[in-house]
Amino acid sequence: MQLTLFILKRIGFGIITLFLLSIIVFAAAQILPGDPARAILGPLAAPSAVKALSKQLGTNKPVIDQYGTWIGHLVRGNFGTSYQYQSAIGPILGKALVKSLELAALAFVIVVPLGIIGGVVAALNYGKPLDRIISVFGLTATVIPEVVSGVTLILVFGLWLNILPIQASGASGFGDTIYHLIMPAIPLVLILFGYIEQMARAGTIEALNSDYARTATLKGLPRGVMIRRHVLRNSLLPTITVIASQTGYLIGGLVLVETLFRWNGIGMLLFNAAKDKDFPMLEAGVLTIGAVYVVATLIADTSFSLLNPRIRYRGVE
Amino acid sequence: MGIDDRKLDQIRGERSELENHYIDELVAGRLDRRTFLRRGAVMGMSASVMGAILAACGSANSTNKSSAAQSATNPSSSGAGVTKGGTLKLASTTPATAINPLLIDDAGGLCLIAQTGEFLTFDNNITLQLQPMLATSWKHNGDGTVWTFKLRSGVKFHNGQPMTADDVVYTFQQLSDPKNASNALSTFAGVLKPAGVRAVDSGTVAFHLEAANGNFPYIISSDNYNAIIVPKGTDFGSWDKTFIGTGPFKLSSYSQGTGANFIANPDYWGGKPNLDGTAFSFYTTQQPQILALQGGTVDVIVQFVPSGAQALLNNASQYSIIKLKSSNHRELSMRNDQAPFTDARVRQAVAYSLNRPALVSTLLLGYGVIGNDNPFAPLYPSENTSVPQRAQNIAKAKALLSAAGHGSGFSVQMDTEEYEEIPELAQLIQADAKEIGVDIKLNVETQANYYGKATFGNSDWLDATMSLVDYGDRGVPNVFLESPLVTGGPWNAAHFNNKTYDSLVKQYVAAVDLQSQKQIAGKIETLLLAETPLIIPYFIDGLTASKPTVHGLNPTSLSAIFLKDAYITT
Repeated sequence: MQLTLFILKRIGFGIITLFLLSIIVFAAAQILPGDPARAILGPLAAPSAVKALSKQLGTNKPVIDQYGTWIGHLVRGNFGTSYQYQSAIGPILGKALVKSLELAALAFVIVVPLGIIGGVVAALNYGKPLDRIISVFGLTATVIPEVVSGVTLILVFGLWLNILPIQASGASGFGDTIYHLIMPAIPLVLILFGYIEQMARAGTIEALNSDYARTATLKGLPRGVMIRRHVLRNSLLPTITVIASQTGYLIGGLVLVETLFRWNGIGMLLFNAAKDKDFPMLEAGVLTIGAVYVVATLIADTSFSLLNPRIRYRGVE
Repeated sequence: MGIDDRKLDQIRGERSELENHYIDELVAGRLDRRTFLRRGAVMGMSASVMGAILAACGSANSTNKSSAAQSATNPSSSGAGVTKGGTLKLASTTPATAINPLLIDDAGGLCLIAQTGEFLTFDNNITLQLQPMLATSWKHNGDGTVWTFKLRSGVKFHNGQPMTADDVVYTFQQLSDPKNASNALSTFAGVLKPAGVRAVDSGTVAFHLEAANGNFPYIISSDNYNAIIVPKGTDFGSWDKTFIGTGPFKLSSYSQGTGANFIANPDYWGGKPNLDGTAFSFYTTQQPQILALQGGTVDVIVQFVPSGAQALLNNASQYSIIKLKSSNHRELSMRNDQAPFTDARVRQAVAYSLNRPALVSTLLLGYGVIGNDNPFAPLYPSENTSVPQRAQNIAKAKALLSAAGHGSGFSVQMDTEEYEEIPELAQLIQADAKEIGVDIKLNVETQANYYGKATFGNSDWLDATMSLVDYGDRGVPNVFLESPLVTGGPWNAAHFNNKTYDSLVKQYVAAVDLQSQKQIAGKIETLLLAETPLIIPYFIDGLTASKPTVHGLNPTSLSAIFLKDAYITT
């Protein structure tokens, strides 16, 4: 019962967050330079042509009206029409979101277990060479830009060894899609491994040094049982938060990886929308990513509260 | 190599005054054969007539050569060695917008519409000749104010409907209507209004121009990429559902942002193409395209630029590289109405500080030609090569600065855009200018920021004291001569205001014969060297790459590619 109330309350907050987000994006979009009609026609088009197109698109209307039209469509479940592509946003965004989720899911499936195992192993070998090696590798990998690791992977596995496809698109079927997505996922795994490994390591170290772990050890619990029963469960709490906080990046922030591997996800779509001042597309895209983020944090908080009852009660007091 | 006067006279009798002028020029040796073929085509002389003239002039050999050159790029479908079938995989730039023939302006979009759509005339960038496409012949009324085009008969749209003059009239009325947001409006400004497009009969269309124009057949050619002929009544906004045109390929599927597939049109007026079909994959940047060609995912990269393409250019033996002369260039404008550039000597000094050959070899890896601060690219027949080329001369530049009262140099800001090699070019210009004491501060912006609203007072491009911008390829120099340079021109970032120049350009545009065009071009080139309102450091070659097994590609320097004659060997 309390859990249901907790979830309902979080959903309410989520909706408020998204509404505020839509206003912020709207305000930010006004600061962006450029003009949609000019972006479509190019810098060399005649001013009369730009004026005519602005009228067709409705971008000559006051910005408040544009926002009103857009939000009016949205509450009726319609994302509206993209200025740039002159077609309904829903299907374009939907396709891109599915692609982004596919890539993000594969990256998560690889990096989450690796990161947690890496962090726990490092913590259990705290101060020893293995800890240093894992931690230094994690931190180094985190700072390698996706485009550098991506190009390196393409050169080695795609061109030199010729064992992985250079491009992610063009796959058919589940297995083939995964095969095509391995290379694009690796740069993301490299970037996220460091975060997750460090959080898991810190959580485990903290749990190992806690009073309850010491008590468990002193009362004679075998080390393996103590780690499984007391340490792991507690060490995972901060890790879950970190994982949830990375969903925004994984869904919407992969412009470089999407470009390099030709995977038409939401990152590229948003980048272009911002560049060309395609306001309805930008709003819809940011809100979609916002919604995914809200859901991810909701899942994280729910699992957090399941693992740690104290949070649950604090949420509804 | 004797001239067959009897045969020549016979031909002359049937030609117009202007055509006879070209024949005179050819006989007198003032026109080379290639230029004769190009200009003759613009005037509407057919290939067979020009062949007969060349033969009568004792140039039979070269006629054969030129037809051989043509067949190298346009092998006849029955020619030996041509392989039938297969699907050609091409990497092209992601179209930036919806595929609307009226609006598109970007490389990706114009490449796509030319897959199914065709133009009245085709500016063949490989043979450098204007060829008949949907028009079979054309002529003007003597002073270049009315141009009449005979349409090809037996041409069918992809929906089976025959193409007639009504379709052509509809297309050009839409393109030139100021009420539409047509991208061709800037090309048609001062040239053509909707009322000027008239059907003479079902197979003939006349264009009544606002002013004489000697290059009009180029203005409605494939150079004007919006001008594909569509059926009368076409809704351009939903054209991307059908891609309806008259071309050798028909739309099979189009997926926004991902790619497009086309299949051979069995009813094509020029015969069924060699390929069964084509598959375009869209890329937003160049590097993945190069990797895709290296890895064998695609057979062709439609267009690429030298910077960042070392992997292809340095291994040219593994790939077929097609290099096209183009008028694609960069312009560095200096505000003629703002100190210190109000003095022409200061503008000249900056121009003399540049090491142009070094710019071409460093930034373009040699795939370009140095410029002489005027828009007459070497591919234009009207370029007047008697005007001397400007070269780096630091001592002269310093002397000019001293004479202008800037002996100790000055500081100035240059605004420019993040686009291809432009940021590096800006840095090299900065380094060269430093040698003469001019301290340039760079402001490199995103294209959106730099262009702004693209109107005076709302655009760094047009308002900056120094501004470095890109200009894409055009088949004739008219737009380059007018918009960025005439008084009040919409892209006049230099704020150049020179009545003599304005009147010379008017004369140039109206001139219908090459000799007068060349003569006026010489005056324009000399004036621009003296005034130096802007600097054109180089013209960039258009590049297309393919696997060596791909043949018969016909790219344009505007980044379109015509694939009717393409084939793949094993």
